[in-house]
Amino acid sequence: MTGTNDDTDVSRRHYLKAAGAGTLGVTGLAGCMGGDSGQDETTTAGEETTESDATEETTTGGDSSTDYNTLEVQHWWTGGDGEPAIKALFEGFAEAYPDIEVKQNPVSGGAGQNLETVIKKRVLNDNPPSSWQAWPGANLQPYIEADKLEDIGESVWGQNGMKENYLEGPKEAARPDGTFVTVPLNIHRINNLFYNVSVVEEAGVDPASIETPGDLVDAMETVESETDAVGMAHQTSSAWSTTQLWATVLLGETDVETYNAFAEGEVAANEEAVTSSLQTVVDYTDYLNEDAGSVSWTEANQKILNDEAAFFHQGDWAAGMYRNQDGFEFEDDWDHVPFPGTEGVYALNMDSFPFPTNNPSPEATAKFLQYVGSVDAQERFNPLKGSIPPRTDVPSDEFGPFLTRQMDDFQNSDSQVQSIEHGLAVPPNPKSNISDAMAGFISNWNVDKTYGQLEQAFN
Amino acid sequence: MQRLTDVLRRLRPGAGGSVRGSGAGGEGEPGQTASGDGSDAGDERLRADGGVAAAEETGGRRSLLSSDFVQSIPFWLPPFLLMGFFVYGAIGWNFVISLTDFSGLVLPEYDVSNFDLDMYRQALNDPTFWTAAQNTLVLLVVFTALCLVFGLLLAILVDQGIRFENTFRTIYLLPMSLSFVVTAKFWAWMYNPEIGMINVTLSQLGLDVLTLQWISNPDTKLAAVIFALIWQFSGYAMVVYLAGLRAIPDDHYEAARVDGASTLKMYWRVILPQLRASTMSAAVVLMVFALKAFDFLYVMFGNNPGPAADILATMMFREAFGSNQWAYGSAIAIVLFAMALAVVAPYLYAEYRRGEL
Repeated sequence: MTGTNDDTDVSRRHYLKAAGAGTLGVTGLAGCMGGDSGQDETTTAGEETTESDATEETTTGGDSSTDYNTLEVQHWWTGGDGEPAIKALFEGFAEAYPDIEVKQNPVSGGAGQNLETVIKKRVLNDNPPSSWQAWPGANLQPYIEADKLEDIGESVWGQNGMKENYLEGPKEAARPDGTFVTVPLNIHRINNLFYNVSVVEEAGVDPASIETPGDLVDAMETVESETDAVGMAHQTSSAWSTTQLWATVLLGETDVETYNAFAEGEVAANEEAVTSSLQTVVDYTDYLNEDAGSVSWTEANQKILNDEAAFFHQGDWAAGMYRNQDGFEFEDDWDHVPFPGTEGVYALNMDSFPFPTNNPSPEATAKFLQYVGSVDAQERFNPLKGSIPPRTDVPSDEFGPFLTRQMDDFQNSDSQVQSIEHGLAVPPNPKSNISDAMAGFISNWNVDKTYGQLEQAFN
Repeated sequence: MQRLTDVLRRLRPGAGGSVRGSGAGGEGEPGQTASGDGSDAGDERLRADGGVAAAEETGGRRSLLSSDFVQSIPFWLPPFLLMGFFVYGAIGWNFVISLTDFSGLVLPEYDVSNFDLDMYRQALNDPTFWTAAQNTLVLLVVFTALCLVFGLLLAILVDQGIRFENTFRTIYLLPMSLSFVVTAKFWAWMYNPEIGMINVTLSQLGLDVLTLQWISNPDTKLAAVIFALIWQFSGYAMVVYLAGLRAIPDDHYEAARVDGASTLKMYWRVILPQLRASTMSAAVVLMVFALKAFDFLYVMFGNNPGPAADILATMMFREAFGSNQWAYGSAIAIVLFAMALAVVAPYLYAEYRRGEL
C-alpha cells in the first residue's frame, strides 16, 4: 500500500483487491502466483484481477500447495445444449479441484470439424492441449498409430470404479487398440425413430409394431394415404444424416455381427446385406419431405413439430428441439421407439476426452479425466446436453422421462454398437470414403454404384 | 538527410529549385535561418542551392547505379520479403509436402531422395479428382464469363445517366458485401423446392414444369451454385466496368456516332476494346472468388457437396483435414494453383506484351 494519500488511492486499491479476491475465490492472496514469491502482494492481486477480467474463461484456484499446471481443455460446445452442459461440468470440476486452473479454449463448429483441424495441427507440432473433445473409438486410431495418446488404464480408469460401471460398448470405444486412452463423457443414441403422435394416430399406425426397416415403408405409405403429412422428415443436403440412416437400416435388417463386419471392412462378404439396406433407404426417399435436399436437420425436424411429418430418424440430440418447444410433450405429442429391427441394441455416438502424450499438465489432466469419468460430472453434464451417461450408476432423477427411458434401454441393451458416421466404428480415412460414397448416393440414389464405392472405401 | 534529398532530386528531375528550397536549406545551415532570410534573398538562395546540388552529383556519380538500387531497398524489400515468405514460401512448402508421403499424425521426414510424384499419380487415377477438377474448371470459366457479361450489361445500363444512379449501383453491389455464409444459407432457402422463392414464383406463373429440386438434383446443382455466385458478384464486375466506361472520353462515342456506327457496333468496336484493362482486373478477382467458392459450398452442403458440385478446394479440404492425407491434399492444392495460373497467365502475358501492365 502506498502510505501517502490513504483516502483516495488506497480505497481504490482496496476495491481492486476485494474484486481480485472475489473473482479468485481465495481468502489469502499470498502464494497466489506459485513460484513468484518475491513479488509484492498488492501488485499480484492487481495483475490477477486484470487477467481474470480479460479472459473470462479462466477460473483460478487459490493456494497452490501442489503445483498444477494450467489445464487447457478444447471443445466445440459453444452453443445449443452443449454450452450450459460443459459449463456445469467445469463448475463441478472447480468445486472438486479448486486448486487447478482451467483454461477452456473452445473452437466452435458443429460436429467438431474446426476443432479437429486445430487439434491435428497442435498434435502434429507436439503441442497438444491437456485434453480435448474427441469422438472415441476408431476416430482416435491415427493418434494411436502416431503414438500420441497415453495409456490411462491405471491412472484414470483404475479409479472411481470406472471399469466396473461402464458397459462393454463404451469401454470398447475408450480403448480402440486395447489400451484405455480416452474417457467417454456422454452417449447419444443413433438408432432412434422419433414420431409425431397425432399424425401416426390419425393414420392408424402403431410404431411399436413395426418390426423391420422394410415394414417402415408400408407404415409411411399408410401415413401418406391417410393424412396430409409426409412419411419421414429427413435432410439430404449433406450426406451425414443419410449415412446414419443407412447404417441404422443395415443394423435393423441384419444383426450386430454384420454391422460390425462392415465396419471392419468386410464389405464384399456382406454384399447382399449392404445393397438391400441401401435399397431400403432408396424406398424411403419416396416418402421424404420434398425439400429434403435443401434443408438442415433442424429444419427437417421442425416438420415433426409442425405435424407435417410422421417419422424422423436422427441421433437423440433431436429430442432437444422437442424439449425446448412449449406444448410439445413427450408421449402426448412426440414419442420414440428404437429404430425397427434394432431393439436391444444401443448404437453409440459419444464424446470423450483423451490423454495426449507430451501433456502440458499431466497431473491436472489425470484429475480432470478422473472427474469426467465420475458420477458427479456425468450427472451434471448429461441432463443439460440431452444425452445419457456412459456410467450405469448415475441416478436418473435429473434426466426427465425420455432420457430415463433411454438410460433403461442402454442399461438393458444386449449390445452396444458404435456409430459409423461419427467415426467411432471406422477410422477417418475409410470414413471419409464412405462419406464420399454417400454424398453421391444422396443425389443419384444409385444402389449399385454406391455399393461399389463402399466396397472400395476400405482399400 | 543528404542522401534522401539526393534520391528525391533524382526521382523528380524536372522539379524546380523552389520546390527543393527548404530541403536544400537544411543541408548546411539551420532551416530557420534560411526561411528567415525573407523574400528579398530569394534569388540568391536559389542560386546557392543549385550550386550545392551540382557539387553533390559529381561526388555521388561513381556509385550511381548501385546506390539507386541500394537506396530503394527500404521501399521494396519489406514487402518483397513478406510476400516471398508468406505467399511464395508457403506455396513452395506446400509443393514440397506434396512430394512426400505425409499422412497421419506423424510429421514427415523431408528427405530429398524420397521425394516423388506419387501423389500426383494417385490424383490422376482418382475419379473423384477428375470430377472435382472438371467442376472447378466449369465453375471458374462459366462463373467468370457470365459474371463479366452481366456486369458489363449492368454497367452500360447504369452509365446511361439514369436517375437514382447511386442507388442502383449500391443495390447491385450490395450482395458482394455479404459473406458467403449468409448468401449460401439464403440461396438454400431460395432454392427450397417447397417454400423457396424460385419454385413458388415459377408455379405462380404456371410454369410448374420448370420447378426443380434445384440443389439436390445433380443435373442442376452446379448451375444453381453458379447462378447464386453470379448474383453475388456481377455487381463487382459492374463497378469495375463502370469505372472503365467513365474513363472513356465522350468524344469517342460522338466520333462513332458521327461515323454512323449503330449502338451495337459502337460498343463492340469502340467501347469494349477500351475496357480491356477493366476486364482483365475484374476477371482475375472473379477467378479468385470462384476458387473461394469453397465457403459457399461448405455452408450449403457440408464438406462433401457430392460429385455434381464437388470442386478441388472442397476435395482438398476433405483429403487433408478429414482423412489426414496431407500430402495428397497438398498435391490437389498445387493442381488447383496450377489451374488458376494457367487461366490467368496467358492473359497477363498478353497484357504485358501489349505494354499495359
